Amino acid sequence: MNQSNIETLIDAGKKRKADFVEIYEEESRNSSISLRDQKIEQSLAATDYGIGIRLVYGTDVLYAYTSNDDQQHLLSLIHLLADSRGEVGNGSSTFTLPGDVSKYSFSKNIHDPRKVPPFRRLELLQTADTVARKVSSKIIQVGVSASDIVTNVLIANSEGLWVEDLRVRSRFFLSVTAENKGERFVASESPGALKGFEFFEGLAVEDIAQKAGERALFMLDAGYIEGKKMPVVMGNGFGGVIFHEACGHPLETEAIRKKSSPFVGKLGESIAQSCLTAYDDGTIEEQYGSLKVDDEGMPTQKTLLIENGILKAYLADRIGSMETGSARTGSGRRESYQYAPVSRMRNTYIEAGKDSLDEMFASVDFGLYAKRMGGGSVNPATGEFNFAVEEGYVIRNGKISEPVRGATLIGKGHEILPKISMVGKDLELAAGTCGASSGSIPVTVGQPSLKVDEILVGGR
Amino acid sequence: MDLEQAAGFVLEEGKRYGIDSFDLIATDSEDIGIEVFKGRIVSTETSRSRGVGIRVLNNSRPGYSYSERFSKEALSQMVRDAMDQTEITDPLDMELPGPKPLAEVDLKHYNPALEKLDFAWMREQGLALDHASWESDKRVENVPHVGVGKSSTQSLVANSKGVFVKKESNVAYLGTGLVVAEGDIKKMGSYYRSGRDISQFDPSYIAKEAAYRGTELLGAKPLPSGVYTIVLGNRISPQIFGMFSSPYFADAVQKGSSRLVGKLGNEVASPILSIYCEAHTPDYPGSRLVDAEGIPTSARTKVLENGILKSYLYNLESAKKDNVLPTGHGVRSYSGRAGTSFANMIVPLGDKTRDELLATDSHCILVTKLEGGAGCSAVSGEISIGIQGIYYKNGKPEHAVDRITMNTNYFDLLHKIKGISNEYSDSYSSIKVPDILISEIHVAG
Repeated sequence: MNQSNIETLIDAGKKRKADFVEIYEEESRNSSISLRDQKIEQSLAATDYGIGIRLVYGTDVLYAYTSNDDQQHLLSLIHLLADSRGEVGNGSSTFTLPGDVSKYSFSKNIHDPRKVPPFRRLELLQTADTVARKVSSKIIQVGVSASDIVTNVLIANSEGLWVEDLRVRSRFFLSVTAENKGERFVASESPGALKGFEFFEGLAVEDIAQKAGERALFMLDAGYIEGKKMPVVMGNGFGGVIFHEACGHPLETEAIRKKSSPFVGKLGESIAQSCLTAYDDGTIEEQYGSLKVDDEGMPTQKTLLIENGILKAYLADRIGSMETGSARTGSGRRESYQYAPVSRMRNTYIEAGKDSLDEMFASVDFGLYAKRMGGGSVNPATGEFNFAVEEGYVIRNGKISEPVRGATLIGKGHEILPKISMVGKDLELAAGTCGASSGSIPVTVGQPSLKVDEILVGGR
Repeated sequence: MDLEQAAGFVLEEGKRYGIDSFDLIATDSEDIGIEVFKGRIVSTETSRSRGVGIRVLNNSRPGYSYSERFSKEALSQMVRDAMDQTEITDPLDMELPGPKPLAEVDLKHYNPALEKLDFAWMREQGLALDHASWESDKRVENVPHVGVGKSSTQSLVANSKGVFVKKESNVAYLGTGLVVAEGDIKKMGSYYRSGRDISQFDPSYIAKEAAYRGTELLGAKPLPSGVYTIVLGNRISPQIFGMFSSPYFADAVQKGSSRLVGKLGNEVASPILSIYCEAHTPDYPGSRLVDAEGIPTSARTKVLENGILKSYLYNLESAKKDNVLPTGHGVRSYSGRAGTSFANMIVPLGDKTRDELLATDSHCILVTKLEGGAGCSAVSGEISIGIQGIYYKNGKPEHAVDRITMNTNYFDLLHKIKGISNEYSDSYSSIKVPDILISEIHVAG
């Protein structure tokens, strides 16, 4: 949309007495190619386009979105929203943007995926398939895909903000299925980055496929752990999903403002042992969850959440900040124009500590080493979380013992935090996708290896 | 352009480019809704979303694209994009269908009266539900979720062989999610009504049901680890069965992602269990007269009957591979590739009450809540999941339970089903499964 059209829309919202008006325009070019059953089964290139209009009265949010950019249609949406509140127009001032356009992009040296012919991605998929299948004749299926998305975002608001941001993300997904006498196990890998085609050019596809194939085969023959409460050593990297779910979501002002979090009113209080410090950082170059500006147009920042066990901050968007009194942290995020922004995580991780993995094992007589986590979820209101362990091992007398499968960890986030007693030196980050009220967004989770003194492990 | 004009334009473009064979899916939906918190309407949303997606088969090679813009330029670009993709895909052995007569059944998916529901009605209902939620029980500590809204959708499937089927549907919803507390223990109870009969949208009843679902779990404690008889309550049995629908899809069987490979005609479950796919039941959300690939659906497909695996579910591609007729279970959104799905998954009612099932064993757990599905895999059948519910002793409720997990395998569980109740939950759902009694389940606590 041009400046004149945006000014007209913002003016219309102001005339209907909105305290704040925001226009969000987004166009994405996405492409993906997938291989399964040793065939390229899908190749897609497409365009998403839409506009989101947000009117804010006090802290009441009125949101409309559409993929139709006709100006009269957009004006009708503004009036529909205002009508829903019974707000009558006053027909006064005319709004003008100051004309200062801030153009952002993390992606200075991208290899633009839109200019890469589809066959360039074929080699990646076929290499992964070949390598994984070579691991064993018990590998019966390999699914692999490569996708990228180039998004242009324009955000303008009644405070005079006019921001444009170019976001380029790429993701690789691999799943390997091993089978033996009817038993099946699936191992998966899904690295991603805020990068263009250079992400795929630098990806260690053979190594990723080899390890996934070996893990599928190895875990196929694993037994089950006896379910009960026990110490758990959690692996680094994607193990951070447990902090993301159990503690990150309840620290978002979206939960805090509705008093729907066990961390309400706990700022400045001790919520974990002194060994634990955690951040949510949107500024890390090339990480999957990074952003130059959030979806409200605010530059992102590195936010200290927990320092030596003390709760330091919540993650705040505009509305959450107004309702909780927390400073905005550049955390307003949404999946697309089809969602109003709310406070969401970016790259969330526990800082590296001073313990070694061997020291953690040595402190456990009997427990679980959850080397690789699967997915998980949390109910922020009650703090109840659950996580799947994709690759696990019994720890016996301080040593790693037999592999186990099918383990689940459950508990409450605010009860588990104080039980993290050792933090490793081996911080690692991993890409993920987070689903919540403003849709599914790219994030990064991470942690060094951790020891939790006691957690319920589901098993048989 | 409206939906039909956009579809017509794409069909013409396809012909103009000389594409051998192609089909398209198009949808146009309008939604409005509000969210209420503490007597205030904190959020109002209205949307119009639409898109058209094409699948071309050029020399048998598939290519996909879609567009959310309905301009001639964007739609023409979409056709060219799809054509470009066919340069790298592998050939697909399938043929698109021609038009066929559809069953003459009124699926009751559209109620004109819903179109009159406006923000004023939503405000009245939402505020009433918020108030009723706070008043529903003295232990209600917070009501973070109260929502009311409606959506109207037009959808269309068409292809180069002359299929052109349009459908119109709408639905409304009203629901609440509240937190109840007793001491340090907090539990959430949620209850949503959705459908087209808004006389069922009673804020007082909805609030009371949500409060009941939360308060019944207060005072919960774990059980010792062991092997238990459990009853999957009819609120959550559809979740379990829904998580494990893909093993019945022919494409999952053909691609090694199902443990039901080679099991047609074999006993794969308890003889008291049947699973049907029913596509013509009026007012069920999954009902459809034609699938997303233009194949007419059947009123009932027997997938599993009396424990015997009777049929896989097929779309065009998987049917051709097995050299059988497609069963009308193709599914696709405008932005995705063709897959397979149940229309409505139905487990027929049994002849026992839930109480009779719970009295079957001296120790029994009624499961009323599942905690996420991350530990469940449709490929391996693994089920490792946190559960909450009520512990029954000698047929009588003893206490609520939480902080326990259920650990088994879906394909083993099917054989362990010992009883099925005579009642479905009242949710507006395409999966209908009664209470299910299962023996010998590992529980960790």
